[in-house]
Amino acid sequence: MEWVETTGKTVEEAKDLALDQLGVDTQDAEFEVLEEPRTGLFGRVRGEARVRARVAPRQQRPRQDRSSRNKGSAAPKAFTGGGGTEAMASTSRPRTGRRPGAAGSATVAAAAPAPDTAGPAPGGRTVDEIVSVEAQADIMESFLEGLLDAFGASASVNRRAVDEETLELAVEGDDLGLLIGPKGQTLGAVQELARTVVQRRAAGTHEGRVRIDVSGYRQHRREALERVTRQVAEEVHRSGARKAL
Amino acid sequence: MSDAEEQVAGEQAPAEGAPSGSGPAANAQAMLEYLARAVVEDPDAVEVDVDEGRRGVVTLNVHVGDGDMGRVIGKRGRVAQSIRTVVRAAAVRDGVNVDVEFVDS
Repeated sequence: MEWVETTGKTVEEAKDLALDQLGVDTQDAEFEVLEEPRTGLFGRVRGEARVRARVAPRQQRPRQDRSSRNKGSAAPKAFTGGGGTEAMASTSRPRTGRRPGAAGSATVAAAAPAPDTAGPAPGGRTVDEIVSVEAQADIMESFLEGLLDAFGASASVNRRAVDEETLELAVEGDDLGLLIGPKGQTLGAVQELARTVVQRRAAGTHEGRVRIDVSGYRQHRREALERVTRQVAEEVHRSGARKAL
Repeated sequence: MSDAEEQVAGEQAPAEGAPSGSGPAANAQAMLEYLARAVVEDPDAVEVDVDEGRRGVVTLNVHVGDGDMGRVIGKRGRVAQSIRTVVRAAAVRDGVNVDVEFVDS
């Protein structure tokens, strides 16, 4: 199994990135903290957290666990490995008092022994490749087109720039309410899946972001929010009394 | 997700006519196959089978290749949850409620 190496401001962030690239849940991955962010004076962070991770070799775990919808079953049962287990206990804040040299590698092995715990594996994908917003939008657009097809909807996808780092893919067509869903839930799911597909197809650093809108839903939400905000602001201006938003 | 929410979704675009494909949840099945294939490493290994239950609930069982289970489930089940949401929306067109299960084969 391939190792990926990622960096982030915190160990937690680096792990999240690694999980994104591997496309697995925490309990299916195996981490090694290569470097913890060093803490400077007054808790200022210098240096980045570096972790490497891979999909944990799958053991004969009781299969019922996987299909169980009970979220509680995601307990850390996989982490029977001794030693570095504490590295798993989400340390989103860098630990103070760590000497740079002591940052060593705390290995968290999921049940299976990790044979090569020293140094990054040669097969590891690099994380430094930059994926442009346009490239991300290309992937998302073809994903969306396939999705609309599977949905049996005749709709078009239009691309427009929202600001310097944001592109929007606007899906326009008739009868797209189902794709938005109650409170935009389905739209949110589509966005999440599109993001996942981009992550799978193009690993690396993704610059900017690509937003999906369906029938101007997000646009309307934004306008409604602006209206409310403006109303409150005017009222505060008139009455001179504070008001929380 | 509750039935009530699905009904709300249904009101926005009422289910129309019979689906073009076959089976009790053809639209939902096609959507599920598409989404699962989009997120796995081995799309050819994706299979969906249909269990027609009582009371109009159709269960769609997704099988994926070795090592791809994590990919369809995702961090904290987010991918799986998103797939369920979109597949349920597609199922409104089939006029059925669906339940998506990710099966370890």
